[in-house]
Amino acid sequence: MAVEMTMPILVVDDYKTMIRIIRNLLKQIGFENVDDAADGQEAFEKMQKNKYGLVISDWNMEPMTGYELLQKVRADEGLKSTPFIMVTAESKTENVVAAKKAGVNNYIVKPFNAGTLKSKMSAVLGDF
Amino acid sequence: MPAANVAAQVRTSLATLKASDLQDAQIMEVLKLAHQLTDTMKLFFSSLDQSICQEFNYIADYISRTRDEIAALRPNDIKRERIPTAGAELEAVVTDTEKATEVIMSAAESVLCDEETDYDNYRANVEAKMMEIIESCSFQDLAGQRVSKVVGSLRHVEDRVARFAEVMGVRDADGGPQEETAEEKRNREQLLNGPAIGGPETSQDDIDAMFADAGGDAALDQGSIDSLFD
Repeated sequence: MAVEMTMPILVVDDYKTMIRIIRNLLKQIGFENVDDAADGQEAFEKMQKNKYGLVISDWNMEPMTGYELLQKVRADEGLKSTPFIMVTAESKTENVVAAKKAGVNNYIVKPFNAGTLKSKMSAVLGDF
Repeated sequence: MPAANVAAQVRTSLATLKASDLQDAQIMEVLKLAHQLTDTMKLFFSSLDQSICQEFNYIADYISRTRDEIAALRPNDIKRERIPTAGAELEAVVTDTEKATEVIMSAAESVLCDEETDYDNYRANVEAKMMEIIESCSFQDLAGQRVSKVVGSLRHVEDRVARFAEVMGVRDADGGPQEETAEEKRNREQLLNGPAIGGPETSQDDIDAMFADAGGDAALDQGSIDSLFD
């Protein structure tokens, strides 16, 4: 099934600059319907109000981390099928393993480029 | 006269006195014995006083040396000047990098969104924005200098604390693990390790391999996990 380029994407990061970078990269890839949240709690609240086709989340945030957000999303009946990509500087193997076990769809280590983001999004959503 | 000799004399006098008829004991013999006993007691208490005096002198020296070493640490200088200055420098680094990033990203976005159709105008716009980006990159020089000052302050504190510990013979406390703070607990539970020094600890290629092996939504295969720890 073709990926809908107008699907809403939620970017979660506590650094506005990183949100801006990801927004720009997504725009270059062709996705312009982008919303953002500053931490896991705000993201979860937005997810309960709006339906997103993809969540791209940082790990290290206050008060709710991206890892906690992932666990809450996967435990929520209405949200558990939402594709979730972790974009983080947490590069220890234990982090990758824990995220995978928690149900993350893909994992990108910072710093990254548009090509990496696009290829991981393709791996999760299908070709676009 | 050494205490041992006096004690021997006292024992001899006592033995003599016991052997004699006490009723006939001469008053001078008793006085002599009393004198010997007094000498012995004097020597005994004098030796006690000296050892206590030596102990107090040692403690006084130690306190004096500790006070000197603490003064050499210059804790007030560290507390009032070096640590606050280091904190201010790091905050300035964050502010400088934020400002530079803002300029660079705005310039790049401006170029990406430029819809100028005239080639010469478009080229002039792009060149102007590129110059803004180049100028903004000077933040790296300032950030480098600020971070160097912070590193210098940390080295200063490290050197002084290390010298203090060495001179005072300070050793780390033994015993069980220290009590975990709330922040440490959260970091452990949430696997908040932060960025690795020298690049990602697990490369993107290795992560990709994990996800390729396990497939899209499938749970991670134990073999894939195990291979990461080989």
